[in-house]
Amino acid sequence: FQTTMDVAAEDSDQMPSGFHAKAAAKAARLRREAAKLASAAALESPGGIESRPGEWAPTQSKLLRRVAVAARPGHFELSLQYGPYSVAYDTTGRLLALCGRGGHVAAFEWRQKRLMFESQVNEPCHALTWVGAGSTPQLAVAHSNWTYIYDAQGLELHCLKRLHKANKLFWLPRHWLLAACTDTGHLHWQDVSTGQTVASYCGHHGPLRVSALHPDSGCVLTGQPNGQLCIWTPLEKRPVVKILCCPAGVRAVATAPAGHAVYTLGGDSRLRVWDIRCLRPLSVSDSGADAASIRLFDAAPQLAVSQRGLLACPVRQGAALMVLPAGGAKPLLSHPSPGRLSDLAFCPWEDVLAFGHARGLGSVLVPGSGEPNPDGAVHPLSGKRQRREAEVRGLLDKLPPETIAPPAVGGGVNAVDAEGIEEALARKRAAVMALPSDEVRQFQPRRRSGKASGELNRKVGERWQRRRMELRQLLKSKKRVLAEMGDEGADAAGGRKTKKAKKVSQSGELTKPATGTFLDRLIPKAD
Amino acid sequence: CLFPVLIDQLNTHWPMKVKLLLRNPQDYLRETADDIHKLARNPAPELHPMSAETEYVRALNAAKLERMFAKPFLGCFGDQGDQLSRVCMHPRALSLCLSGCVDGRVAFWNIPRRSRVLQLDAHSGCVQGLCWHPEQDLFYSCCDTDRTLKAWRVGDDLTEFSRPVSQRHLDFAPLNLDHHVSKDLFALSGDAVYLYDSRRSDPVGQWKWGSDSVLQARFNPTEWHLLAAVTKDNALLLIDTRQREPLRRIRCEFRQNALCWNPQEPFVLATASDDYNLYSWDARRLASPACVYRGHTNAAMDVDFAPTGRELVSASYDCTVRLWESGRSQSRDVYHTKRMYRVFAARYSLDARFIVTASADFNLRLWKARASEKLGALTPRERAAVNTAEALKQKYAHHPQVRRIVQHRHLPKRLYQAQLEMKAIRGKQRRKEVNRREHRGEDKEPFVPERDRHVRGVDE
Repeated sequence: FQTTMDVAAEDSDQMPSGFHAKAAAKAARLRREAAKLASAAALESPGGIESRPGEWAPTQSKLLRRVAVAARPGHFELSLQYGPYSVAYDTTGRLLALCGRGGHVAAFEWRQKRLMFESQVNEPCHALTWVGAGSTPQLAVAHSNWTYIYDAQGLELHCLKRLHKANKLFWLPRHWLLAACTDTGHLHWQDVSTGQTVASYCGHHGPLRVSALHPDSGCVLTGQPNGQLCIWTPLEKRPVVKILCCPAGVRAVATAPAGHAVYTLGGDSRLRVWDIRCLRPLSVSDSGADAASIRLFDAAPQLAVSQRGLLACPVRQGAALMVLPAGGAKPLLSHPSPGRLSDLAFCPWEDVLAFGHARGLGSVLVPGSGEPNPDGAVHPLSGKRQRREAEVRGLLDKLPPETIAPPAVGGGVNAVDAEGIEEALARKRAAVMALPSDEVRQFQPRRRSGKASGELNRKVGERWQRRRMELRQLLKSKKRVLAEMGDEGADAAGGRKTKKAKKVSQSGELTKPATGTFLDRLIPKAD
Repeated sequence: CLFPVLIDQLNTHWPMKVKLLLRNPQDYLRETADDIHKLARNPAPELHPMSAETEYVRALNAAKLERMFAKPFLGCFGDQGDQLSRVCMHPRALSLCLSGCVDGRVAFWNIPRRSRVLQLDAHSGCVQGLCWHPEQDLFYSCCDTDRTLKAWRVGDDLTEFSRPVSQRHLDFAPLNLDHHVSKDLFALSGDAVYLYDSRRSDPVGQWKWGSDSVLQARFNPTEWHLLAAVTKDNALLLIDTRQREPLRRIRCEFRQNALCWNPQEPFVLATASDDYNLYSWDARRLASPACVYRGHTNAAMDVDFAPTGRELVSASYDCTVRLWESGRSQSRDVYHTKRMYRVFAARYSLDARFIVTASADFNLRLWKARASEKLGALTPRERAAVNTAEALKQKYAHHPQVRRIVQHRHLPKRLYQAQLEMKAIRGKQRRKEVNRREHRGEDKEPFVPERDRHVRGVDE
């Protein structure tokens, strides 16, 4: 938009002085550069499939025939024997880790198929997540009892005994927090950079088996068997928000890596999408006819959402996976799974989806799932030095856990402290309302008689002397507040009018407060 | 079966269009080792959640880093052997300054090296005035004990000169000296303000108001006919050299020890007062000071404006040096050391980056004007980082955590206790005022703003 200075800058004769002309020219130049940056042609464009109306979803072989050879590393299958596998990508999308219920833990760069480490921990592993920044990757794995952190070579760095029986691990990159939901109903938030436990409490909402992280705010969402969706933050030991999202129990919760959409799969096999900012349903289908939900029959409860809003879910009792487009009900593609599906994960910044199943894991190409243009050094092609710099900057910019709050609750760093203002006003009103009455002020304690009564009488007298002074101060402050609030306040409070206020009303002028403060506009008008 | 053939034909005639996201590494990697690394940018807000919180954390870190790097003390100039009374910066050379001692010695210092270049036994008593000629390599010194004004020439090779170029015997005891910014005039203050021309033996002008002596008189750098003077009877005089009588006399409550004109704003001057405050005055409206600078816990002995006209430095009897922003009554910074005793003079360097102080512990000290400034050349990235940090601190300056860090300064215990005492005294005074006003009423005890409390009257 143009300001008067912009308009004037075009005609330099209208500028008051050369100094103003220069300032206006500079401002115009900065605005032009910002507009250029904002509208700059992005480097990459997103992927996608353009298919004919009646056509079936393509298979991987069909896709592979139509894409460049360089895309082939995105499609692979690994047959492994150690139980149903969970998979996790790191935030850059370069590394893939897996852990199996049979104790198999491994991590490798999936593009070059370069193995980082592989080990057998002889304990069932339930969940995993990459922690830390991409320059020194560390893997947190939830074993049957405790959670362990491994480095890039597979060496065990930490054993987190507090994270006991964790079934889901989350990484909050901006806060450097490892969050965990456990089978015992506890929630933990552990600072990975300092090692401090930020919060660790029992939620008293039963075992938290269905959970997801909302990355934009850092809150943990859990689905309850009574159909509630609870939002948890580290500073509150109770869920901050609870919404009833399904008539039956919640079977799965998923969030997109960015944005405000929350997907819930209920016991009635309906997938619903919610807006976490206003806690209302978002319409799912394009047609808008059945906007509330889509039916996912026989869907096993694992959901994954990509950066561009594509939703992956298992179908046919976990025998195949299906990818739905953003806001659509018609599947984009599907892929059979050799074993029963146990985990799904979209690769950030790439059009790839990894899935873990009972007999190993696999990876499929999903055109249009990855965000094409990253920002900063968190993308698969960033170099080692850039990742190191980004790690240092990430540590310096580490957000305090107080910033974790659901968007629906509001607040934030730049929010106006309306509560503080209201509290101050309430205190003022309380000072006005709580009048020390004459009886209270003139009270005299009874004098006692008998042995040691002299000392007792003196002490009691002193105590009441002090109290009388306090009451006098209270009365004075009440008078002062009344004077500030003026006639309107006096009427509202029902207290005595001060001399000054009386004078003003007698002369018939508008009754304005003697010393106006900005809080006056919050005083309710006496009707 | 017929269907596979049909499907195949369909595929060949209408092939499905598939586009997969594939990145070319060349677009993300630098070409040679001499290039800088490429940085991908996407300003979309979806990729930048919690940006306000991140900015706030960066502002907090900027405030903390500024305090961590705040090391303003650069060094001592070396023991002078006796108490220093005056400091005078060279008007054209950045690295030179003069100091006058109570035993009559005048020393010539190289500021960056903090070393003494030469020393003169100028007078037999305390050097009361020191000033440079604006154009020539000449400086003047005056003493009240031997009642002389001496002019000294310093050669290019800075060798010692034991005899002055010229010497003038005065019939009064001069207390201070100032040279005109361009003309060959200088003002001596003693029992009155005397204007001398260097070519004449008798004073060209004389101004006096009352019977007490004048402590300091200074020329306005812009208005060439204007002089301001502070007297011992708590007055500030405004003098026009074209008139026979002083223009105005402001009677203050306490003695003003020093004064300084703002080099950028012709009508603004600042005075350092015995009532622990500094005052800045607008010469167009002298009824009350434009700003009252409160912070010192003992008499302010000297004040100097920065060449930018936007900052002030004050030297105080409470062994601290305070820096102020023009117009803000709370000090921006306070400098103190264990060894620095009563500070009697403080001067800004010509580039407004350094401060030289003279104190009663016989030392001159060099300080940075901006405590966390990095001395030396800044690379463009460093400069950008510094500017960003400054902008962030200003944006979040009102947030309590940021404000707390930016404002807090460590003070030694006795200074901190003195500050608390001053606060208690002021609080008591205010409380009593409020009580009197409540008891007597607004008309009998009107509210007087801070600025109007310090001037007894203005005489014309």
